[in-house]
Amino acid sequence: MSETVLELSSVTKRYDDFTAVDDLSVSIPRGSIYGLLGPNGAGKTTTIRMILGIIQPTSGTISVFGEPSALNVRERIGYLPEEKGLYKKMKASAIIAYFASLKGMDRKSAKKRAYELLERYGLKDFADKKTEALSKGMGQKVQVLASIAHDPELVILDEPFSGLDPVNQEVMEEVIRDMAARERTVLFSTHVMQHAERICDRIMLVARGKKAFDGTIAEAKDTLPRRVRIETEDSIEPLRNVPGVVSVLRVDPESPGSHWDIELGESVRAQDILRFCFEHDISLRQFDQSDPTLHDVFVSIVGEDAREASFR
Amino acid sequence: MRNIYLVAAREYAENAKTKGFWIGVFLFPIIIIASIFIQGALERATPTRNFVFLDRSGDFEQHLEDGLQRLHDRDVMKAFGKYVREHSSMGGEAGFSADMLESIPAPDTRELLESIGDGGASLMPAGGIDAALMQIEPFLDDEAPEFEEPRRRFRRVELPGDVPADADLADVARGLKPYLRGKDKFDFEGDSIDLFAAILIPADISEKVQRPGLGAVMSAISGGPPQGIQYWSANLADEELRNEVRNLVNGEVRRREYVTEGMDVDKVQRIEKTRVPFASLNPKKEEGEEAVSLADVIRQWAPVGFVYLLWVAIFTISQMLLNNTIEEKSNRIIEVLLSSVTPNELMLGKLFGIAAVGLTMIGAWIGSGIGVLATRSGPEAEFATQLFAVLRHSGLLPAFVVYFILGYLMYAGIFLAIGGVCNTLKEAQNMMGPVMLILIVPLFTMMFIPKDPNGTLATVMSWIPLYTPFVMMNRAAADPPMFEIVGTFVLLLVSTLLVLWLTGKIFRVGILRTGQAPKLLELVRWVRS
Repeated sequence: MSETVLELSSVTKRYDDFTAVDDLSVSIPRGSIYGLLGPNGAGKTTTIRMILGIIQPTSGTISVFGEPSALNVRERIGYLPEEKGLYKKMKASAIIAYFASLKGMDRKSAKKRAYELLERYGLKDFADKKTEALSKGMGQKVQVLASIAHDPELVILDEPFSGLDPVNQEVMEEVIRDMAARERTVLFSTHVMQHAERICDRIMLVARGKKAFDGTIAEAKDTLPRRVRIETEDSIEPLRNVPGVVSVLRVDPESPGSHWDIELGESVRAQDILRFCFEHDISLRQFDQSDPTLHDVFVSIVGEDAREASFR
Repeated sequence: MRNIYLVAAREYAENAKTKGFWIGVFLFPIIIIASIFIQGALERATPTRNFVFLDRSGDFEQHLEDGLQRLHDRDVMKAFGKYVREHSSMGGEAGFSADMLESIPAPDTRELLESIGDGGASLMPAGGIDAALMQIEPFLDDEAPEFEEPRRRFRRVELPGDVPADADLADVARGLKPYLRGKDKFDFEGDSIDLFAAILIPADISEKVQRPGLGAVMSAISGGPPQGIQYWSANLADEELRNEVRNLVNGEVRRREYVTEGMDVDKVQRIEKTRVPFASLNPKKEEGEEAVSLADVIRQWAPVGFVYLLWVAIFTISQMLLNNTIEEKSNRIIEVLLSSVTPNELMLGKLFGIAAVGLTMIGAWIGSGIGVLATRSGPEAEFATQLFAVLRHSGLLPAFVVYFILGYLMYAGIFLAIGGVCNTLKEAQNMMGPVMLILIVPLFTMMFIPKDPNGTLATVMSWIPLYTPFVMMNRAAADPPMFEIVGTFVLLLVSTLLVLWLTGKIFRVGILRTGQAPKLLELVRWVRS
C-alpha cells in the first residue's frame, strides 16, 4: 500500500453545458482493489474512459504509472468496457489472443495464453467456437479473460458483474481477488454494493460527477451514525433521556408500530442501551445492533442525487 | 507501427474468411467461364425450327432450298473446323502455325473457313464432309470422337393435313394460326412437331417488286393488307430465318432484274465483291510498324476493364470497411481497441488490412481471368497472349496499382468517416446515398472516355479528385499530357491525404459517440477540436 499506481487530480470533463465529471481527485495504491461506486449517470464510465486515455479530460491531470497518458503504458493496463461485445465471427481464443497481442504480447505466446485462460475458467470447449455461438454470460467471461490475458498490472473493469449469473459473479470476484493477490491493482465500477462490500479495499462514491466519498469500507460505514433497532410494546420514552442517545425514531413513521431506531452518539455503546432496557424493565422482542451495510451508506450519501438523476 | 500491422492482419484474416470474400473471388472467373460456355450451350440448345413454305409463284422454291442448304453446309464446316482444331495435331494450344499449315495437304481448314464469307457455291469441299473427314483422318488424335454433324437449324415441313394447300393464302394463314401460336402440334415424318414459322409467297409476287422512287415510299407508308412475302411467326426474337428468307428472295429478285436489264449477272456479282485494302494505322508507332494490331485495340480498351475492376473493388471493399467499423462501434469493441491502440493506428490498420483484401481479390480476378483465357485454344488464347504482352509492356499495371491505392484510400476514408459517425447500418446507408451517386458517375463515363480520351469531359473530370483515379485510368492508353498526369496526381494525392486527415479527426470523436448521428455543424466542430 505504498506506491501510487493511478492518480487523478482535479479531473473535469465537460460536454457543452453538461459536466459529466467535476473536479475529481483520487489516488489508487498498488495492489488494492478499488471500487468506483455511484448511481447511473454519475460519471463512472466517463472517468474510466479518461483514465484509459480514450477521451481527454477538459481540465485536470491523470497520471498512470507516472505517465500522463495511459496509452504510453497500455501494455500494463487491462480494460473491460461497460458494454460488452465481441467480434461475432472470431473464435474465442483468437479474440483473446488478438487483444493480448495488441497489448504487446507476441502472437504465439498470446495464443498459448488464451487457451490456458479458457481452460482455467471452464471455457475450454468453446475455445475454437465463434463467439456468436456463446451465451451472453460466456461471451462476457471471454471478454474478461481478453482484458487480463496479458497479465496487466492495472485492471480496469467497468461493471464487470452485470449480466452474470450468481455463480459467475463469484467467479468474477475470484478473478479480481486472484489479481490482487499477485500485487495487481484492480479498479472496478459497479452499482451493486454487495460486490464492492465483499472485495474492495477502498471505494470511491461518485454522484453527479463529484466525489462524494473516498476511503475504506470501514470508513464509509463510519459516515453513518451508529444505531440500534429495537422492537418493544413498552414505552420507549425513558430511552430518550439516556446520555449519548441522539434520537429515537419510529422505523416507519407513517403507521404506529413497535420498531424503533435509536441513534447513538460517540459516548454510548450498544450494550449500554441493552443494560438500560433490562434495568428499566423494557421488554425487548428484538435487539439489533448490526452495522450499516454499504448499501445504507450508498443510499444515505447519494440517494437523493440518484433519485434526482433518474428523473432529470 | 506494430499495432497498425496487428489491426491490419486481423482485418485481413477475418475478411478473408468471410463467405462474401470467397464468393467475390470465385464469382468473377465463374462468370467468365460461364459466358464462354453458355454461348455454345445456347447454340446447341436451340431446337431445329420447322417452317412451312408455300410459293404460289413457284419462282423461289428451289432458290430457298439451295440457300438453306448452304447455310447448313456453313454450320457443318464451322463444326468441322472446330473438330479439327480440338482433336487433331493440326490444332494446338495456339491454333495453327504457319509451317504446320504448309505441311498439311488440302483441304486446308483455314482456307475453308475463310471461303465461308463468300457466300458462293463452293462451300463444301469436293466430295462433301465425308471426303474432308477421310483426309483429316491421319492427323486425328487417337481418342478423337466421331465427328458429329451439327443439327439443321431450319427444316422445311409439309402443310398440316387439315390445311388445304390449294386454298386462298389468307385461308392458309388462318388455318396455320393455331400451329404457329404453339397451341396445336402436327405430325410430320412420324414426329409430332411445333411449327415455328410459315412463309407464304403470293402468285403475283413479281408485280409487288418495289423499285426506288415515290411508289415505294407510298406503298410503304400506306397500311392495308400485307403485300409481298408473308412471314408468319409467333417468335419475334429469333429473326434468323426471316432475314435468311428475305435475303435469299431479294437476292434472287435482283438477279432477275439484272437479267431483265440485259446485264451480265456473273459480272455484276464479281463486281460486287471487289474491294480496296483498308488499313488502320497508328501514328504513335515506329515507322514500318504502324499497322493497328490486336494489341493496339486491347491497349485502347484494357483501361476500361481496369476502370471497371477499380470501381468494383473500391465499391466492394469500402462496403466491407463500413460494415465492420459499424460492427465494432455497435458492440463497443471499439472501446477495448482504443484502450490498446490510438484511433489513428486503428484507422490505418483497417485501411491497410482491407486494402490488402481488395488487392487479393483483384489479383485473383486478373490471374484467373488470364488463366482461363490462356487455357482456351484458338482465338481466345491469342487474345490472352496479346493481353499479357500489353500488360507487361504498357504502363497500365503500375498506373492501375497507383490509382487503385489512392482512389481506394480516398473512398475508404469517406466510408470510414461515415462508419465513424453512424451507429447502425441503417443510419450509414442514409449517409451513403450521396456518396453512391458520386461513385456511379465513372461507370457511365467509362465507355465514352476512350472515344475522346483527351476531350473536355475527360479533362474536366480528371481534375475532380473523386474521379481522377477512374478517369485518368480510362485515359491512360491515350497518353494524356504530362502536365495533366502530374497535376491530377498531385491533386489526388493531396486531397486523399486531406480526406484521411479529416477522417482521422471525425473518426476519433465519432467512434465513441452513441445516439443520433451528428449534424453537419457538429462535424465541423469535431474537425476543429
